[in-house]
Amino acid sequence: MKFAVRLSVVGIVFVMMFSVVGLRLWVIQVAEGPEIALAAAEQTWIQQSIAAPRGDIFDRNGVLLATSRVVPAVVVDRTFVQPEEREALVDRLSSILAIDRAALDDLYEKAGINGRFQVTTVSIEMAYRINENLDSLPGVEVAKVPERIYLTGPTLAHVMGHLGLPDAADLEENPDIDPSVRVGKLGVEKSYEEYLQGTAGQLEYRVRRGDIIDTRPSVDPVQGSSLTLTIDLELQDLTEMALEEAIALSNTVKDQDRAAGLEVFSETEHGAIVVLDAQTFEVLASASYPDFDPQRFVAGIDETTFSALNDSEAFNNLATNGLYPPASTFKAITYTVIEEENLPFPTGIEGIDAANRQVHCDGKLELPNLSDGSPQSKSDWYDPGNLGWLGIHSALEKSCNIFFWSAALGTYQAYRAPSPKETVIQDWSMELGYGTRTGVDLSTEAAGIVPTRELFEEWAEYQIENPDQPPRLDPSRLEIASPWLGGDLMDFAIGQGAFTATPLQVAVSYAALVNGGRVLEPRVVREITSADGQVTPVVAPLRRTVPISAQTRSDLLTDLNRVVTNGTARLAFSQFGPGLEKIGGKTGTGQSTAVRDNHAWFVGVAPIDDPKYVVVVLIDEGGSGGRIAAPVGRHILQYLMGNEPMPIVEGEDAD
Amino acid sequence: MTVLTRIREVAVVRRGNRSDRILFGTMLALSGLGLLMIYSATRNTGTFSMERQMIFVAAGLIIYLVSSNIDYREYRGIIPMISVIILILLFAVFLFDPVNEVNRWIPLGFFFLQPAEFAKVVVIIALASLLAPSMHEESPQRGVSWKKLGLALLIVAVPAVLIYKQPDLGTTLVFVFILLVLLFAAGATWRQMVTLIGAGVVSTVVVLRFGLLSDYQMDRIRCLVDAEVDPQDLCYQLGQSKRAIGSGQLLGKGLFQEGTLTHFEYVPEQETDFIFTAVGEQLGLLGGLLVLTAFAVIAWRLLVIAANSRDRFGALVAVGIAAMMMFHVFVNIGMTVGIMPVTGLPLPFLSQGGSFYMAMALALGIANSVWLLRTPVPSENQLI
Repeated sequence: MKFAVRLSVVGIVFVMMFSVVGLRLWVIQVAEGPEIALAAAEQTWIQQSIAAPRGDIFDRNGVLLATSRVVPAVVVDRTFVQPEEREALVDRLSSILAIDRAALDDLYEKAGINGRFQVTTVSIEMAYRINENLDSLPGVEVAKVPERIYLTGPTLAHVMGHLGLPDAADLEENPDIDPSVRVGKLGVEKSYEEYLQGTAGQLEYRVRRGDIIDTRPSVDPVQGSSLTLTIDLELQDLTEMALEEAIALSNTVKDQDRAAGLEVFSETEHGAIVVLDAQTFEVLASASYPDFDPQRFVAGIDETTFSALNDSEAFNNLATNGLYPPASTFKAITYTVIEEENLPFPTGIEGIDAANRQVHCDGKLELPNLSDGSPQSKSDWYDPGNLGWLGIHSALEKSCNIFFWSAALGTYQAYRAPSPKETVIQDWSMELGYGTRTGVDLSTEAAGIVPTRELFEEWAEYQIENPDQPPRLDPSRLEIASPWLGGDLMDFAIGQGAFTATPLQVAVSYAALVNGGRVLEPRVVREITSADGQVTPVVAPLRRTVPISAQTRSDLLTDLNRVVTNGTARLAFSQFGPGLEKIGGKTGTGQSTAVRDNHAWFVGVAPIDDPKYVVVVLIDEGGSGGRIAAPVGRHILQYLMGNEPMPIVEGEDAD
Repeated sequence: MTVLTRIREVAVVRRGNRSDRILFGTMLALSGLGLLMIYSATRNTGTFSMERQMIFVAAGLIIYLVSSNIDYREYRGIIPMISVIILILLFAVFLFDPVNEVNRWIPLGFFFLQPAEFAKVVVIIALASLLAPSMHEESPQRGVSWKKLGLALLIVAVPAVLIYKQPDLGTTLVFVFILLVLLFAAGATWRQMVTLIGAGVVSTVVVLRFGLLSDYQMDRIRCLVDAEVDPQDLCYQLGQSKRAIGSGQLLGKGLFQEGTLTHFEYVPEQETDFIFTAVGEQLGLLGGLLVLTAFAVIAWRLLVIAANSRDRFGALVAVGIAAMMMFHVFVNIGMTVGIMPVTGLPLPFLSQGGSFYMAMALALGIANSVWLLRTPVPSENQLI
């Protein structure tokens, strides 16, 4: 090859190299140029977000419960800090503010190049002190930031909820939120976050070498919408005080029992009360004990305090998340099913008059002919003594377990799968809201369990496949044809066994029973008012209407009244005062495990001629329903019906 | 007297030939544009980068004029001595404190000498001297013997390894490119070329596979493929540069405009290795293509000089210089537009930097010397 040819080849290689570069230049400058130019123009602008105050929260009568105030906060803008000044700045600032140096350094790092971050809110005095030292604190400024303030302290804590910095889950749910702005973590603060948070304002400017050289028109922040709750603050206060008194009463009674040599397992530490409007399903009061002060979360809560509160279950709203066997309060539902479905009673059993639908209530049921042919005896664990022959009305009044057992046993014997009526009692209870979340507009809620043959078979299967998991069923159940037995349906009919429900579910079911069968999703918020004054009412959606005859409904209401005038809650209501004929109620004593105290329940309905209020009281391991819970119900119903609420004193020890 | 006599011997006998005015003019134009760009990129910093560069340009022009007037054939005799000196300097950089964790400079008080820049020119002369048939050779053979090929590898390997250790991967690659081009121009057979390139590919694979590159070098290569990989803001520089150039579009944003990325100093190293971003953003595709055209003119002139050299040595020197400059241009601009990894190779005559500017001026001065002496001596004619 001639030298000249070789030179040409070298030249061609150069031409190829230049072509590649030239083509690439054309691609990024012409083909993609306009797009890149746009991004480049935006890049030189720094966006600073201005936090919006959260919306206010009012009670149903317009009493302000939570608002926002403007407080000074120390903010660091890294745009104005030269890299070599960083160490000294972090040192100085952490010593002035008395905060952890490593934590501050971490905040600084996370803010990123040209980033801006809030160190902490400070007192007015500290704000002055910082302001006087700004010369030696490059990039530091004292800004006015909105801060949440709860005017009622711990009152209504579980419904209001609290704030906290967004965690990974919050950011995944809503990637646009500013990670330094606190968001709702519980209660309506969380469930109405999108309304309360408002719209952050924006300031845009350009900086060169630490000087702002250009600004764009700023956008002001818009305060979040305010909420008007369904809660009546006065009733809420009364309810919370009643709950605390009930827990104190329960512990006093336990002391007496201990002194009398009776077995007591624990101190009473938890309880919940719900007052629900039976027609609109507005939650008028909702208390859960123990509680917490949401204000402590505003500036950031320390780990120790949080753990202590968390361990005491202070953040758990027992009204919506506490799961308990509804016990004898459920007899009102079984009552309705017996009447509406004309449930059969078993024949050929001593003490059961199937023809007249009467039962001899003496605390014992002898069962000679069970499916396996062996005779069995079932004793009423809460022996009320010999009450003689009772029909359905007296059975509810006296909370006779034998009666409701008999109806369940008759159902178990008459309807076996594949008959769809095998689950007739469960189906009714599910229609009335058990076993599914009520749909209340709060951040968390438990669903509870309605036991059926199908569920027990699932559990058995799971238990066999996962022997290392904690068992749900007695091991003997795994060895028989079906783990579901007649006794399970009998327990279910009196609200026991594997059956669990929340106090709010109990309130919902009673409201439906007494309002003609309408099941709505309860609401704690009535209205949302936007910053410009637009009002959006919040209406509880109707889930379904359960057909209940007027006769059954009116019988039930009459019998519920007999409970407070003559039945298990008679003593607790003896000092109710005028208007007792308008009150209905039902006690319940939830059998816990053998080594725990019973749960005390009471459900009140008033007025029975046109039901408006449903009051549910639950004292976790509080003892007997008639003795501990019914007096609390009476106290609240006195207030609701315009009577002077009398002190909460021990009632009759009854189921 | 002896000194004067010696100077007369060394000085180019013009024989009526003129300097390559196109080459010189293009170099001046690029240098002027470079000063303008350096000013635009640093006018807010208060570092006097442009003023410093003006001094280097002045020094470079003197070096160009002097080297143009030295008979390039004189270098052949003293190349072993020059090589030893440059190797000593390349060793010497390790004696001084590293700057930014790199041993690349020798502080001379008034400026920092970068021996590696001059080593490129020295290696070109050494390779050309080896590969061109000696005037004393009895029967000059065509092509490149395997022995010469081995020697050529050795000539390149010693400085390349030293520079790689600084570390300066980019400059190391310049040596490899110069070697390949010169071997090919000197008449290496296809077999020799394929063997060399094959060995190169194999060693590249070995280097990549077995992690002989440092982490930051690997990251820089990864940035090209996936800008999301950005452990130390390395891709940031690349992304900013691409964005600055792209936003210049067809005609550019104009010189010294407020609010450009160059003005806001968003592109790190924008007055040195990334000077082309200032060109691309302010003067657009038009300015960029003009710069490319200027370098194409330089390449064209150098190949013309090579073709008209009176001997093979001069021709190979000119080809080697062309290879060096074009590799710089390709890798540097390729890096700013995101098709080459960040290797730190500056752009001839535009990037701020003293040693580099002077070494480039020296290279073109030597090429001009080849041009001035181009009238072929009849006895050497057969060799071309």
